[in-house]
Amino acid sequence: MRQLTDKVVARLQADMQSPDLTGTRYRLVRYLARGGMGSVWLVEDTILQRQVALKVLDFVAAADDLAERLLQEARILAGLEHPGIVPVHDVGTLTDGRAFYCMKYVEGRTLAQHITGKSVPDRLRLLERVAEPVDFAHARGFIHRDLKPENIMIGAFGEVLVMDWGLAKVRNIVRNIARQPARPPTEEELTTEAASSATSRATGQGSVLGTPGYMSPEQKRGDEVDHRTDIFSLGALLWFLVAGSSPGEGSAGGVKVPRPLRAICDKAMATDPVARYQSAGEMTADIAHYLEDAPVNAYRENLVERGARLYARHSTAVILVAVYLLMRFLFILFARR
Amino acid sequence: MYSYPHPDLVAFVTPHYTSQLRIRAPDVPENSQGGNFPPTRHSVVFAAQSDDPATRLWAIETIAAAYWRPVYKYARVKWNITSDDAADFTQDFFTRLLEKEFLDSYDRSKGMLRTYLRTCADRLFMNQTRDANRLKRGAGAVHFSLDAFSLNFDDAEQELTAMPRSESPEDCFDKEWVRSLFALGLERCRAICEASGKTIHFELFARYDLEEADPRPSYAQLAEEFGLTTTDVTNYLAFARREFRRRVLEQLRQMTGTEEEFRREARALLGAEVK
Amino acid sequence: MNKIVLGVVLGAVLGAFDGLSAWLTPAVRSQIVGIVIGSTVKGIIAGILIGVFARKVHSLALGILFGLAVGLVLAFIIAQLQHGYYFQIMLPGGMVGLIVGYATQKYGSLQTTQRA
Repeated sequence: MRQLTDKVVARLQADMQSPDLTGTRYRLVRYLARGGMGSVWLVEDTILQRQVALKVLDFVAAADDLAERLLQEARILAGLEHPGIVPVHDVGTLTDGRAFYCMKYVEGRTLAQHITGKSVPDRLRLLERVAEPVDFAHARGFIHRDLKPENIMIGAFGEVLVMDWGLAKVRNIVRNIARQPARPPTEEELTTEAASSATSRATGQGSVLGTPGYMSPEQKRGDEVDHRTDIFSLGALLWFLVAGSSPGEGSAGGVKVPRPLRAICDKAMATDPVARYQSAGEMTADIAHYLEDAPVNAYRENLVERGARLYARHSTAVILVAVYLLMRFLFILFARR
Repeated sequence: MYSYPHPDLVAFVTPHYTSQLRIRAPDVPENSQGGNFPPTRHSVVFAAQSDDPATRLWAIETIAAAYWRPVYKYARVKWNITSDDAADFTQDFFTRLLEKEFLDSYDRSKGMLRTYLRTCADRLFMNQTRDANRLKRGAGAVHFSLDAFSLNFDDAEQELTAMPRSESPEDCFDKEWVRSLFALGLERCRAICEASGKTIHFELFARYDLEEADPRPSYAQLAEEFGLTTTDVTNYLAFARREFRRRVLEQLRQMTGTEEEFRREARALLGAEVK
Repeated sequence: MNKIVLGVVLGAVLGAFDGLSAWLTPAVRSQIVGIVIGSTVKGIIAGILIGVFARKVHSLALGILFGLAVGLVLAFIIAQLQHGYYFQIMLPGGMVGLIVGYATQKYGSLQTTQRA
């Protein structure tokens, strides 16, 4: 029997993982990354002559639920057409039996890599751009459930993309229906609800999915969650951006976080979802206020802080008027002599 | 014979897309534990606990083929014993396995076979050290031998000298297990290719994937070497790799008692990260 | 508030303040009403000119310079009419123009009332 060296064994392991693209329109270029239930590869679409990212299950999806979950992820991405969400181009099965889908290849850096050397205002503007696709998804009834720095990519041209919707789910249909006039659910709602249930079954009822530090308390407990679990994660992301560490790591590590920003984080990461911002848009509005030196809703300023903020915002005007008054005062003084 | 599941994956997507997938579970009968799993006669885990000597022998031979090298090297690395002693120990281990001594108490629901066998090796060595009662080669001792292959301890010893010293015994065991499974998968793949008149497919695969040459020959070079087109080289390699993957996973299924164990072992076999 | 209105309001307020400060000069105290009215009108005129400039030219530096120039010119005219007190009139006048120039560039919207 042929004996295999370590190098050959490693190569064979890589071969076994790599997708068998025979019979498809794709040509394998290289391995990119590992996802929750599969791996992502850079492939070339030989018909459209462009590079795309192909996500494929780890090993043959003999189990229905893994393939169904991948399909669900592709469907969610397909339903969310937004500049901040990677578009899905194709979905299918490889010759080796594994389910896959193809999406836009994002060449860029993760959020953590990108923010090095960036000022706080720039980091805050990044978070605003992360919140946009999340808000969009919420408006369409989807929750991401795994927002974290590793799932935010900044493309080569500065575009911000929210990645890895593998844990996404459809919002609680009952909640949505409650806001509308009473009517029976449509077939589409039942289908998406069934798919959501399928995802829940695939993810395991009561099983905890997500990333510690960025996961809301209700998600950690395995309770039913709504879009406010993403608000919590956005708050954790904000903390990461301004403090340089994830919320689970304790203090800001010597970084002084301005009180209004800390208040925005605290509100977004409130234990009770009712106490949080009720939408990503509400949170980004407060961040915009902070960037404009305007009062932040989450923080009640005292007089001194208000004065300091107004001064910071209008310092030149204040100085000019002060100089004018000083000049007037000096004139009066000399006139009295 | 049960072959590796090749499920028909066809699922319905939104009308927006032209591709269609429908998901169907593979046609595999349920085992007594209620999971979809190969029939009992193909699982060494079940067969090794059989009362039928022929079935048991087949199972132990299959297990030994995958585990003798890991056991030998594990013994050498962990206890720093001589190669002769390690060879005796390995022989003794599988002899006791054949005599049902270890596998009677194996509970599939409590752990993986691979971990269990390693623990058995630890226990055996402890007992032997305590009793100072090693089974030496000699008249009257039961020697384990396999019809299917020979235990080439000299080769195993040579491979050991090339191994990095920093590796722990447990890592060594696991690594050898992967190596053994791959080697067995390769043999099966070769046999299948030869039987179906696709010898050249396997030769291409061996030339490209099994040789240490760095950099590897290009597809164009292989095409010239074998008198094929580059498209043929791509397709033949894909076929051989597919067969290889199928045989390795088939081998792994034989070695595992439950679907959950198979999945976990598959992840370990394929490596957590692709390099 | 659009830039012209801002200029007018600011020019009027600062001009009135300027005029009122003349009360501290006993020599001209008796003419205080005229001085205040004149100073306020001067401020309004300066505010209109600087506000219109701010609508047309979006440059903080140029706005400040223009404001300063307008303030100095108008203050010079007033000082000529007063036959003196050039320094006491032109320096504050220039400062007022500078402040109005800065404010109209930095604040105030470009919106005008929509015509039907």
